[in-house]
Amino acid sequence: MIYLDNAATTKMYEGGAELYKKYACQSFYNPSAGYGEAIEIKKELDNVRSLIKAKLNSSHGDVIFTGGATESNNLAIMGSRRNGKFEYIFSEGGHPSTYNVAKELERQGFIVHFVKLQENGQVDYSQIESLLNDKTRLISVEHVSNETGAINDILKISKMRSLKAPKALLHVDGVQAFCKIEINIDTLNVDLYSLSAHKFHGPKGVGALYVKNIEPLKSIVFGGGQEDGYRSGTENVPGIMAMGYAIDKADVNDNLQKASKFNKLLKSMLERDEHIHINNIVGSPYIISLWFEGVNGETLMRALSGRGVIVGTGSACSTKKAGNRVLESMGYKKEQIKSHLRISFDEFLTEEEVRKAGEIIVEEYNKLRERVL
Amino acid sequence: MKVILLRFGPLYLKGNNRYVFENMLISNIKKKLCDENFKFEKTFGRYVVSNYEKSREDAIVQKLKQVFGLYSLSVAEEVVASVDAIKNEIEKNELDGKSFKVIVKRADKNFPVPSMEFAKELGGLLLDKNPNASVDLYNPMVEVNVDIRMNGKAYIFNETIKCQGGLPLGSAGKAMLLLSGGIDSPVAGYLMGKRGLELEALHFYSYPYTSELAKEKVITLAKELTPYLGKIDLHVVSFTKVQEAIHMNCSSEYMITLMRRIMMRVAERLCEKYSLGAIVTGESLGQVASQTMNSMTVTGGVVNNKPIFRPCIALDKEDIIEVAKDIGTYKTSVLPYEDCCTVFLPKNPVIKPTIEKCEKEEKRLNIEALVEECLAGEEIIEIK
Repeated sequence: MIYLDNAATTKMYEGGAELYKKYACQSFYNPSAGYGEAIEIKKELDNVRSLIKAKLNSSHGDVIFTGGATESNNLAIMGSRRNGKFEYIFSEGGHPSTYNVAKELERQGFIVHFVKLQENGQVDYSQIESLLNDKTRLISVEHVSNETGAINDILKISKMRSLKAPKALLHVDGVQAFCKIEINIDTLNVDLYSLSAHKFHGPKGVGALYVKNIEPLKSIVFGGGQEDGYRSGTENVPGIMAMGYAIDKADVNDNLQKASKFNKLLKSMLERDEHIHINNIVGSPYIISLWFEGVNGETLMRALSGRGVIVGTGSACSTKKAGNRVLESMGYKKEQIKSHLRISFDEFLTEEEVRKAGEIIVEEYNKLRERVL
Repeated sequence: MKVILLRFGPLYLKGNNRYVFENMLISNIKKKLCDENFKFEKTFGRYVVSNYEKSREDAIVQKLKQVFGLYSLSVAEEVVASVDAIKNEIEKNELDGKSFKVIVKRADKNFPVPSMEFAKELGGLLLDKNPNASVDLYNPMVEVNVDIRMNGKAYIFNETIKCQGGLPLGSAGKAMLLLSGGIDSPVAGYLMGKRGLELEALHFYSYPYTSELAKEKVITLAKELTPYLGKIDLHVVSFTKVQEAIHMNCSSEYMITLMRRIMMRVAERLCEKYSLGAIVTGESLGQVASQTMNSMTVTGGVVNNKPIFRPCIALDKEDIIEVAKDIGTYKTSVLPYEDCCTVFLPKNPVIKPTIEKCEKEEKRLNIEALVEECLAGEEIIEIK
């Protein structure tokens, strides 16, 4: 099987799984307990916090462990809410775990603005600039789009913010970026940054939220006061340790080089077919967004899985619901959206596998195309 | 002793066949309760389920409510059919501040006191015991029922719970239900089951055009029908080749019509293979283009030797949805997976197809080979 849906989830490291087992079955103590064994665990968790900060190139700030990026995004957004006439700005390209939180804010009566996407997948910076003012409370954008791989220029947004809305918080959903591309959080001057372990070979059900200045954040989950009261509930120790393992393992530069190589190779193979269209995205080499003339993306996805090649449809999958919010925001036509697929790499792939996948994709597409046209 | 008193419908209309129907109903009841401990007694005009675990009472009642052929049931106290025993039991009714009515039925005419007289007597007794209660014959808050049966027992109960009605499952034979994954076809299966038809089901899928999830959905639907229909053999047939062949060779407005004609042929062939007596569909007149009178004429036209039952034919969509919600298939039916009818969907499906035009279109296909191919790839999933 050739797995090309790494933006959906990734395979866990064997070493991480072993570590997970160790902290589930041997060093299973509750880090909030007072005895020596438990205190050791607490220290180990703090080491993982340091690892995350190091990967983010952060010199200060805190890390809160969560149950994954959805929870991190909810904490970042809902925890930043303030009463009064504040305004909240969201990217239309956000993952449902930011977009639907924004919708909920709107439902609760907050003033929420959605920023359109450009055709290249990035947010419309000029729209953000025009929306920023001294009432802006929060700007939330995705670092790398999970649908298209588009990379937003966070530095640019951050600078705009400093100039026009210095009191506003900047939240970045870094799920598709962390451990994949170089991040310098200090330079970017980001306040809140979300990540999820299972997107970089860690376990599912664990993530973190980086917080530059914890003071303004308010908890949304109440209980035993773990994570300094910002996320009550006993920490998922095995998950966090296995996430730490994955962070330690990740060689961002090497990963990036491999992804770029695979990206280039596959694009060159697919582009030879005049009916296959690679979307023109300014983005991450880990993700290729493309569409296939005349063939339903989902149908092709199933045909490919029958041949052992796993690709993603992104959130275009519920075919009876109209379209795909992200691609629509970029101005794509209905037929392009219906025929859309997402291919995403990891560093475990080989060139040979990618080449094989390329051949199968072209072959299966043409088989289907002949049958349906 | 607490018992469940079961009443069945007009099986007595069935003349000499009555015992066949009754035995089928009893067998279905016992099958339905096979996981429970209980005693079953058949008396004239009633069945009695007793000796069950008290904690299972609600579960048993729920199960019995799904048995076709039962009309109503009551959880009752069983006592010896004597004036004293009945009075003793009746007195336990606490009616303080409530209005009530006593209804006595006497199947056993040897019982010494006539019904009306006994009801009055029991009412008087209850009024004595509950000075704040009152009698209301038209709209009482509590009904006190006394059913005196031929088996020397009397049954005292307050509530009559409506059951499915209909005829015992299997008493009308066995048929093939076309199960698409939509709202209507499971309802059609339920309605025909209620008329005594046991069912097998047939589903067409079009991998890779339709998702595995669509097939899983139909399996779930079949499973949701089993409380009513018992075990169902689900026949799953790949329709990909047929759809591609029609798409490539025939005019697109006839896509759905031609598809359905082939589905019907496959269904009839499977009926012959498995000795099934009819085809059941969820069609409702005029609901969509393929369910007009003309459409049904041409799709039904290929079936030579089996009747096609369409129990939803005269129901509005809202009525069908109501039944689907009642029987518990609605939530699954509205899951958004494509079924094979939504693939290659023409923009303008023909509303008044004709047999002549269909036959002309079909000349461009090798119908027999396509039907054979469908049959060859048949997969049977036993749903319990």
